[in-house]
Amino acid sequence: MLKIIIPTIMLLPTALLSPKNLIWTNTTTHSLLIAAISLQWLHPTYFPHKNLSQWAGVDQISAPLLVLSCWLLPLMLMASQNHLQQEPMVRKRIFITTLITIQPFIILAFSATEVILFYISFEATLIPTLILITRWGNQPERLSAGIYLLFYTLISSLPLLVTLLHLHTQTGTLHLPTLELMHPSLTLSWTGTLSGLALLMTFMVKAPLYGLHLWLPKAHVEAPIAGSMLLAALLLKLGGYGIMRVTMLMGPLTSYLCFPFMTLALWGALMTSSICLRQTDLKSLIAYSSVSHMGLVIAASMIQTDWSFSGAMILMISHGLTSSMLFCLANTNYERTHSRILLLTRGLQPLLPLMSTWWLLANLTNMALPPTTNLMAELTIMTALFNWSMPTIILTGLATLLTASYTLFMLLMTQRGTSPSYITSIPNSNTREHLLMTLHILPMLLLMLKPELISGTI
Amino acid sequence: MNPHAKLICTLSLITGSTITISSNHWVMAWTGLEINTLAIIPLISKSHHPRAVEASIKYFLVQAAASALLLFSSMSNAWTTGQWDITQLTNPTSCLLLTAAIAIKLGLAPFHFWFPEVLQGTSLTTALLLSTVMKFPPMTILFMTSSSLNPTMLTTLALISATLGGWMGLNQTQTRKILAFSSISHMGWMAVIIIYDPKLSILTFYLYVLMTAAVFLSLNTTKTLKLSTMMTSWTKTPVLNATLMLALLSLAGLPPLTGFMPKWLILQELTKQEMTVTAVIISMLSLLGLFFYLRLAYYATITLPPNSANHMKQWHINKHTNPMTAILTSLSTTLLPLSPMMLTSI
Repeated sequence: MLKIIIPTIMLLPTALLSPKNLIWTNTTTHSLLIAAISLQWLHPTYFPHKNLSQWAGVDQISAPLLVLSCWLLPLMLMASQNHLQQEPMVRKRIFITTLITIQPFIILAFSATEVILFYISFEATLIPTLILITRWGNQPERLSAGIYLLFYTLISSLPLLVTLLHLHTQTGTLHLPTLELMHPSLTLSWTGTLSGLALLMTFMVKAPLYGLHLWLPKAHVEAPIAGSMLLAALLLKLGGYGIMRVTMLMGPLTSYLCFPFMTLALWGALMTSSICLRQTDLKSLIAYSSVSHMGLVIAASMIQTDWSFSGAMILMISHGLTSSMLFCLANTNYERTHSRILLLTRGLQPLLPLMSTWWLLANLTNMALPPTTNLMAELTIMTALFNWSMPTIILTGLATLLTASYTLFMLLMTQRGTSPSYITSIPNSNTREHLLMTLHILPMLLLMLKPELISGTI
Repeated sequence: MNPHAKLICTLSLITGSTITISSNHWVMAWTGLEINTLAIIPLISKSHHPRAVEASIKYFLVQAAASALLLFSSMSNAWTTGQWDITQLTNPTSCLLLTAAIAIKLGLAPFHFWFPEVLQGTSLTTALLLSTVMKFPPMTILFMTSSSLNPTMLTTLALISATLGGWMGLNQTQTRKILAFSSISHMGWMAVIIIYDPKLSILTFYLYVLMTAAVFLSLNTTKTLKLSTMMTSWTKTPVLNATLMLALLSLAGLPPLTGFMPKWLILQELTKQEMTVTAVIISMLSLLGLFFYLRLAYYATITLPPNSANHMKQWHINKHTNPMTAILTSLSTTLLPLSPMMLTSI
């Protein structure tokens, strides 16, 4: 664990002390090296946990997410280069430092085997995210977006802390591998039900579940590109990961508690997809598409079968990469036109021809075209849900249909049609952007060849 | 202020506190408290501003009343039990009276009204003294008598303090008043645990002193008395403002900052005592406080340029940042990893 965490922490002095002209190169290369080293976590072992120590360990569920979070850091750094170009050096350093500070906490959150450590690092990601959104966002609305983010998360997570401490008093330990071996202490009493709700609610807000998702589009719209990538690719996954961990502890209680969450998740997938269809703001559209995909993840992780867990895992990883890439693409348009409105920034294919290839690829993966891992994930989840209850096929089927339609809508709106007359000259897309897109799409393409790397338990 | 007078005041302040915290006899404890009160009054009124004089009179009246009540409670205890030992407070009426007296001294709601007013009238350094040093002797008395206090009453006081401290702070634009309400809600956190784990309560107090001192000293460096000054203080000390934001969020109790440690330990102790509902309520009430800390943090650093700045910029700073501020700020943001060590050593 420390092999990755210490180099990640050492990125901070790298960012603060690098010479002026090398700061981006140094930090990006260093973090890319860390990402390369982190790939060893994907190597399967006979034992459930790898590198298991008292407080941290990597298992099949956390390994892909850990690698994803290590992978995302260089990409976030690359994506932020352009909008920081005009800033003085000190602010660049502080921005990079903020971005890097989140990384050790996310790694700790995904690898912690002690639940309180998980809780602390889960919450610790909040402050840097808050700074990222409210300090580096563009509109004045970013302040309320920050307040929404903080308060939604904290209101739901303080009961979680109390419940965890209560569980600790009852069972004497909060060590996850030990807890999994013990009989679940949550019963069907009122206390048990409330504890179960408190355990789930934090992650439902973070994932986010439809109805508890209002902070997300706000945060996405206001955040700078790195913040959006971070939210979509990693922080939402903390929610999904938390649900998978917690439902394992809850035992029989989940089968009673799952109904409202399943309803909201599936209905939410449908509703948010429909919201996407009438969305005018590109970033908001991608944010709602995240909510819809995470709805499927929530539904899958609530029914707790091997297939559904593996589907949820694959969907989290592929959605992490896809949505992050979509945000990057939206940002390349935004940096050129300074507008996120779909109506104003349409028909960009003649102007940025190579970029529209990336748009096509990203949208095809987002709408889960065969043979992408997104399709594999959605099929696995749909099968698992169908097995759980037949009528769900109507909802999941409709959601898939709507996903395809709004993705197509997004692609057609941004790329096809006549270019508007007021966009006469825009800067060409540059190598950095193409590299950024390549580094997003490459893992997705490669994972198609070996999806069992990210499929969790199976 | 005349250096001699200042020296005498400071020395009496130290003497008074020492007498109270080391005494075993109620009369000595009372004497120490009175010395404390009399020593701080010149410090409060030193600016000779009408508000400062008003504050010192308010402070004197409230503290004198509280001390009298304390003396009365100990005397009635001595009347019924025949001894003056602080730890042997067995008469229930005396216990109630003492709780009220200490609540007045600490500014626990519903006896908190004097506290923001007095803080508003004084300078930032005196306000720091009032919310840290002056609360230490009453805390120790509470600590020593914790075994005989009434749990229901203290829990109620604590919850009311946490509520009012958070709620009334929402509406403030003066930093001293905001910090006064923050102090009131922190006193609530200390009072809720004093019966079950008095040492934890003292630890909470120490950490609160650490964090609030960091905030007060940072504000004092830039002479920030209200939010609109705070808005422009970044031009004076940009780095200090960034650390001030962290210190404020630490005061709010966000992990991974120091302020999370007392909250975590108190919630743990409360759940151990089967007071889960209280734990949930008081943790939710801390969110009220978080809102105004967050607003302070926004003003301190997050709304920096390049965004629009429609105010006069301040460029000159006539004093250096105290090195103490740096030490206190770093302690008040990074102590959380040490919590296992602190927990075993208290």
